[in-house]
Amino acid sequence: MRILILGWEFPPAKTGGLGTHCYELVKNLGKKGIKVLLFIPKRSENAKHDLENVEIVEVGSAISNPYNATDPTTFEKGYGWNFFDEVREFNKKCIALALQRKFDVIHCHDWITFSAGVELKNRMGKPLVVTIHSTEYDRTANIYPMKFIVDIEKNGIEEANKVITVSKHMKKQLIERYGADERKITVIYNGIDYTKFFGVTNKQHRNIVLFLGRLTNQKGPYFFLHTAKKVLEKKSDVLFVVGGQGEKLPELIREAINLGITDNVVFTGYLSEDELTRAYEMADVYVMPSVAEPFGITALEAIASGTPVIVSKTAGVAEKIRHCFKVDFWDTHEMANKIICVLRYHVLGECMRRNSYGELKDFGWDRVADQTIDVYRRV
Amino acid sequence: MTSVCFYFQVHQPMRLNKFTVFSENVPYFDDYRNRKYFERIARKCYLPTNRTLLDLISNIGKEFRIAFSLTGVFVEQCKKYSPEVIESFKQLADTGNVEFLSETYYHSLAALFSVEEFKKQIKLHKAMIKDLFNQRPKVFRNTEAMYSNEIAKIIESIGYKGIITEGHESFLSWRSPNYLYTPRDCEKIVALLRNYKLSDDIGFRFSARWWEEYPLTADKYSSWLSACEGSCVNIFIDYETFGEHQWGDTGIFEFLKVLPYEILKYKNLDFKTPSQLIKSYKSVGVIDVPYILSWADIQRDTSAWLENDMQRLAFEQMAKLENLVKKNRKLLHIWRLLQTSDHFYYMCTKWFADGDVHKYFNPYDSPYDAFINYMNILQDIKRRLAAK
Repeated sequence: MRILILGWEFPPAKTGGLGTHCYELVKNLGKKGIKVLLFIPKRSENAKHDLENVEIVEVGSAISNPYNATDPTTFEKGYGWNFFDEVREFNKKCIALALQRKFDVIHCHDWITFSAGVELKNRMGKPLVVTIHSTEYDRTANIYPMKFIVDIEKNGIEEANKVITVSKHMKKQLIERYGADERKITVIYNGIDYTKFFGVTNKQHRNIVLFLGRLTNQKGPYFFLHTAKKVLEKKSDVLFVVGGQGEKLPELIREAINLGITDNVVFTGYLSEDELTRAYEMADVYVMPSVAEPFGITALEAIASGTPVIVSKTAGVAEKIRHCFKVDFWDTHEMANKIICVLRYHVLGECMRRNSYGELKDFGWDRVADQTIDVYRRV
Repeated sequence: MTSVCFYFQVHQPMRLNKFTVFSENVPYFDDYRNRKYFERIARKCYLPTNRTLLDLISNIGKEFRIAFSLTGVFVEQCKKYSPEVIESFKQLADTGNVEFLSETYYHSLAALFSVEEFKKQIKLHKAMIKDLFNQRPKVFRNTEAMYSNEIAKIIESIGYKGIITEGHESFLSWRSPNYLYTPRDCEKIVALLRNYKLSDDIGFRFSARWWEEYPLTADKYSSWLSACEGSCVNIFIDYETFGEHQWGDTGIFEFLKVLPYEILKYKNLDFKTPSQLIKSYKSVGVIDVPYILSWADIQRDTSAWLENDMQRLAFEQMAKLENLVKKNRKLLHIWRLLQTSDHFYYMCTKWFADGDVHKYFNPYDSPYDAFINYMNILQDIKRRLAAK
């Protein structure tokens, strides 16, 4: 079987779960003898080309990545218009290249490559599989979703022969908001290569509370800061680390100043892979107060680093991980309660992190690849 | 002759209110939830089952006998939420065919941390039974049938004739649970052992479609009882089995309604209460249990309550308050209510294996939430004790 995968992010260039997903998916598909032809945009950093059975084609010129920007002035209604031209250009080039190649199934990841996927499906008569990692509603946390992106998503979902979602919650969203046909949706949870992380090490208990993610409304960094304020009212020797970058950074710094908590909050900016794994390991508790979180791979990364996690109730990962705290993202009071208790009673974190680490065995990429191949077979 | 001994455990914990590190002047107990659960269980289980048993007793007469153990925590809620349930238990007591057993008032783990506290709670429970039913219990059953040589010794020392526990191979080895035994180093007390296989056939497997004996009928069950060797078969189960663990539509009430008649069809079977067993039969040997045994889960130990570090810490911190809290009348009762085993059960993390039972009316999303809530309340009590 030969699969054409149209991707957008690929290591080392990535902003979130999508890049990791694509890398691990093609790697594990290749291992299982599936021939993968992967099209990704040409970026300043070269993509990794060391996977068996995987041919990577870097298409077009270097592309800006709006989801990663820290300077809001480059944004116009959330994205730069330049970005959409580049997306259009990428899709066009993908079509031209793909028409000359042979494959059995087309697999697209998120809206950015949907137009090429749909056109190739119709022109070449090949079945189309789309994976939805997040929707426009998720990414904008429901604040001004752009209609034309929603339309592209809707069209892609309608045209696809099979749709893969990363959680049941996402499946429900597609049915309710996009009118998707329930029968063609398969839920495949993301995986994790936990060997890349530190595992259950001895905690130093430095009273560090960690947030990691793109600084956008979707990830709920404001709720994290307001939670910090509440924790500090009860317990003063706590450090809140806001890891990552994104458009909301300047506003978040202002918010921390307004709340009067700057002595206890650190904004790290961009973190390298190496710094990330250390940050996860050093934290006493990882908090993911996402407003919308289709899956939430960072929660698994924290668990793989031996850190107990508090996650938003609606996160996809909360459907599968039992040994964690689940909260409403807006409930800063409850998050503060839980953080204080984790810091106060070390046995709590110990029990939680050991048990949740044991749950990771259900999240192998090997399983993701098997389930994905199963979807390919059914089209 | 083999005597069939039915004893039903009746208990509902007082569930805690949501209590955070920020809570002040919030009541510790969740009155709304406790009422809701209690009224539901009263309607589905207590009232209809008591009614059924009353009818059976009035139709069959002296040949049908049963025993109950009611916790103090249950009775308190009963008086508050469904006084008619207490009335129907009194009617059962008035028939003279029903024996009430002794236990700790608070359905607590007191035996595991303080002999003095343990004895005090037994005394409180005894007074309650005397007051409600005018009976002086002669047979003791500890919370979750927790038992050891030491516990048996304590119970003997305060005048009991019998103690109930699990009839498990771990200490019985090749011996049958269907006899009376003498606890090691005891003389005046005998142990009554639960026949867990026949008890679980009703308690757990009654409606299990995967079970090769499904559906369980009263005549089939009676034939198993009749085939048992020994002086007694002890069927000890949670009362909530009727109508709650096994819903009404499983046929559990129909089963109960005909079971005594089916049993009495056999010439070699009769009904006896625990005290009658002790009067009628002799101990056949000594049992030696140098560790804490219970009737819970596959392990039959205390691991459902005191296995993980959260459970141990919570228990330890609670136990530590004993001396201080005994000087404070108002907090004493609350502190004792916090000893109810269920609070520790909710913190159990091994729920993947024995999950279903643990989830029964559990008010928490996770064992971690249960721990936090308990610790926050304990912290508040500590604060109040320090303020005195």
